[in-house]
Amino acid sequence: MPDLEEQLTALSVAIDWPKTPSHLWRGVRRSRTEGLQLNRWALAAVAVLVIFGTLLAYTPSREAIAAWLNLHTTFLRTQSQPTPSPLPSGPLGERLGLGSPTTLDKAQSQVSWKIQIPAALGPPDEVYLKLPPTGPSGGEVTLVYGQRPDIRTSGLTGVSVLVTEARGKANETFFQKMLGPDATFEPVTVNGHPGYWIAGRPHMFAFTDSDGNIYTDTLRLATDTLIFDDNGTVVRLEGEMTRAQALQIGASAG
Amino acid sequence: MEGRPADDSQLIERAQRGDSAAYEEIVQRYQQIVFRTAYVITGSSADAEDAAQEGFVKAYRALDRFRSGADLRPWLLRIVANEARNRVRSSGRRHQLELRLTEGFRPGDAVPSPEAVAIAADERRRLLAMVNALSEEDRLVIASRYFLQLSGEETAAALGIAEGTVKSRLSRALARLKARVEEATHA
Repeated sequence: MPDLEEQLTALSVAIDWPKTPSHLWRGVRRSRTEGLQLNRWALAAVAVLVIFGTLLAYTPSREAIAAWLNLHTTFLRTQSQPTPSPLPSGPLGERLGLGSPTTLDKAQSQVSWKIQIPAALGPPDEVYLKLPPTGPSGGEVTLVYGQRPDIRTSGLTGVSVLVTEARGKANETFFQKMLGPDATFEPVTVNGHPGYWIAGRPHMFAFTDSDGNIYTDTLRLATDTLIFDDNGTVVRLEGEMTRAQALQIGASAG
Repeated sequence: MEGRPADDSQLIERAQRGDSAAYEEIVQRYQQIVFRTAYVITGSSADAEDAAQEGFVKAYRALDRFRSGADLRPWLLRIVANEARNRVRSSGRRHQLELRLTEGFRPGDAVPSPEAVAIAADERRRLLAMVNALSEEDRLVIASRYFLQLSGEETAAALGIAEGTVKSRLSRALARLKARVEEATHA
């Protein structure tokens, strides 16, 4: 008589499994369409965020923010996981939802704008590219600067500076409303381009991508951030920099 | 090579670049194992269908987080199995998995007598009934390894446990099943 494991293995071909549905791909295809429509509903999602922000009148703990983001993620059906803790495990690109690792040349060949490299920081240590469906239309490039003198490593990202670029428009109304009570928001100018300096508590970020959809990026919490709009390219510098440092780095981009 | 099906890594790379036909091929390739895994976890074909559907959608949206060089099948199974477990948890109901034998199944490697076929079918039915009667933990690990023919890594992904735990859990489950078989034989 065959042993038990052989009998169990033999049973596998005799099991009467329910019929596998044949329309699973159609469901994925439908969800892609709904995803596009959802972007149009993102404005409503932002309104919900504002209400939550008001409710969170106290200084929210990181756990509260994480819970809030998780709820928001469910609501928006965003593609990427939020970063609920400062330094989750895993490769950098994965834990921060930056997309796929690549090189500057390859990234440049995939996007329509000239990628801006801040001369003050030098060549990036890593480059990531995020294309639709998870990235904004037109794609998003992130330059990672691991360690840089005079800039502390961020407790939220684990690196000194992140420079993120995408075609679109920085939307003052949205991210101003997404700020926590302890964050400050200040209009600035970078090389003659309109920009904003956001400092203080971690905040969220949204911009209008090149198709006019409101893109909430990866929903990760941002550290101190300089954002400027260089003729239709939204450039975002994140890190624990002073305002003067950020402006100097921003002005060296080109 | 012309006419040769693309391997998983090629499909994933294409899908990551936005090629929806590549992801469709992935879905077609793995929908059966994904659905059956969800069925083993939920015990309900309707819940398994929902979990498989949502799992494939979530995997599609997470393509950019798929690690280059990793195995696709365990990754998909992990996502779908999580979805299946979440459905069981959120619905608050757990269907008892009742695996059945295909009617008239005959092993293809012999031409047994009608009596032998009847006895073998009876033995299979009894063994399957014993598996169905095991605890959920034992049943899941046995069904994953032997009925779904998942590897150790895939079983770990499907059950949300470490691969080492799969081995120890499987060993204990087999020991308990064997004891029941022997008990029934001597009865």
